[in-house]
Order: sequence, then C-alpha cells, then structure tokens
Amino acid sequence: MARSPTTSDVFNAIAETGRREILDELITGEKAVGTIVADLSMSQPQVSKHLRVLSEVGLVRCRADGRRRLYRLEAARLRPFHDWLAKYEQAWNERLDRVDDYLKELQQGERQ
Amino acid sequence: MTPNRHGSAVIEFPTDLEIVITRKFDAPVELVFDVLTKPEHVRRWFAPFECQVTECSMDLRPGGDYHIVFVTGDGTECSFRGTYQEVEPPTRTVATWLFEGWPDAHAVESIDLREADGVTTLTSTLAFRDQAGRDHMTKSDGTEDSYDKLEDHLRSLLDPEGTVSG
Repeated sequence: MARSPTTSDVFNAIAETGRREILDELITGEKAVGTIVADLSMSQPQVSKHLRVLSEVGLVRCRADGRRRLYRLEAARLRPFHDWLAKYEQAWNERLDRVDDYLKELQQGERQ
Repeated sequence: MTPNRHGSAVIEFPTDLEIVITRKFDAPVELVFDVLTKPEHVRRWFAPFECQVTECSMDLRPGGDYHIVFVTGDGTECSFRGTYQEVEPPTRTVATWLFEGWPDAHAVESIDLREADGVTTLTSTLAFRDQAGRDHMTKSDGTEDSYDKLEDHLRSLLDPEGTVSG
C-alpha cells in the first residue's frame, strides 16, 4: 500500500495520545480551544497543532463564535477505523479460537 | 462446564507503535505454552481452515530461528520468520517477526502467559520498530480498494503473531 503523509488519514490522526484525549474531550459537545487547553492541561500551541491535524482528516469541525473558535467532533469520520478494527478483531478472534478449540481437544483426549 | 470464550480477545493500542491482545484459555499454562511453541501443535491451529501449513520449524531457544509457511486456497504462500530473543517456559517468549510480504515491517513480539485458578491469560504485545511497519496494520490510502487489500491481508497479517507465540 502506498504511504501517505501523517496527517492524511484517520488512523494516524488518532494514533497519538494527545489527539485521542482531545477527541474524548469533544464527545460531550462543542468546545472552545481555551476550554480544551484548561481541561487537558496541554499547552495552547500543542492543542492547536493537534486540532489542525484532526481538522485535516475531518475528525473535528471548527466554527467561529465571535472571537472564539469552537470545535466539535465529526464522529462519522471514525467509521473507517471502526470498520478496520471490527475486521481486525474478528481475524484475531478466529485465530485464538482455533487455539482454544485445539486446547480443548487435547484436554478431552487426556481425560478419555 | 467451562465458559465459551470464543470471540473474547481484547485488543488495545497503548502507543503509536504497539498492539496488545489479551485472551483467556481454560487450560494450564504449561499446555498453552506448548501449544504456542511446539511445531507439532502449531501446525494444528496456525493456518485458517482453508489453508495448509507447509513449513513449521521452531528452534525454541534464545538466538534460535522459527519459520512458518502456509499456503492459501488460491496458492498464495504466506511466510513468517524470526528469531527468539527470550525463552522462559512456560510463561514468556520474545521474538522478532518478519512477514515476507512486508519486508519493512520489523516487529518484536512478546508473549506472556499467567495462570490463575486453571485459567491462563495470554498477553501478546506486537511492537513495531517504526511507524512505517505499524502502518501496514492500519494504513489506508483512503480508497475502497485499499480496504479490500487490507481485508485480504488480514489473516496473513495476524498469523505472524502466533508464529512467535509460538
């Protein structure tokens, strides 16, 4: 698969603890940058940088309210990650279920 | 009557470069360790149902190599290899893994087993050397096609896991 710049997809955008914290923060609703800074004890430049990355992949939307800039979560954009995780989880489970079945087979054999 | 634990694996992403999978088995730790590390056992569960394990060698000692190959229904070979770094029966193995389809995706996989009340908990940590490697697990170029490829690769992608674990 071709590589793309860090900020160009949802997977990389959320593969950073600070950005995930910001997404969590926005679950409860639209917030101003200052509120996010205060709640997460991150610096304003850090928060602004993360918000820029999240905006570029469409995970957050920004609107102006007077002099304040308000950010809200675009949860639908997490869909690709959700779909991927579901497949990943399924494949993992299938594989570990094979181990589980085989262990049961071995243990039943011992008892007989 | 033991509980049915199918589908109960927990997957976490603690850092940018790590993937951690946890799963319980109703079996003693010694047996789980053997099933994950002895070729005669690994051959029995490693490949998906429709695939055939054609090569399975595991030199289970620090510095020893393993190599596992399976062939899919359409004839595609999936080859995984690596070197054991730590071997502490029956609770821990650490090994490098390399899936030949992704030559730049170097990773180290640690398997830890803990038994309590007859139930063994497996914790598998896959730590990629760099972002380029981990990207294989999660990357998409945004097209549907890449998701399809991701899906196609998924099983082979996950199988290196068991390789090392065993």
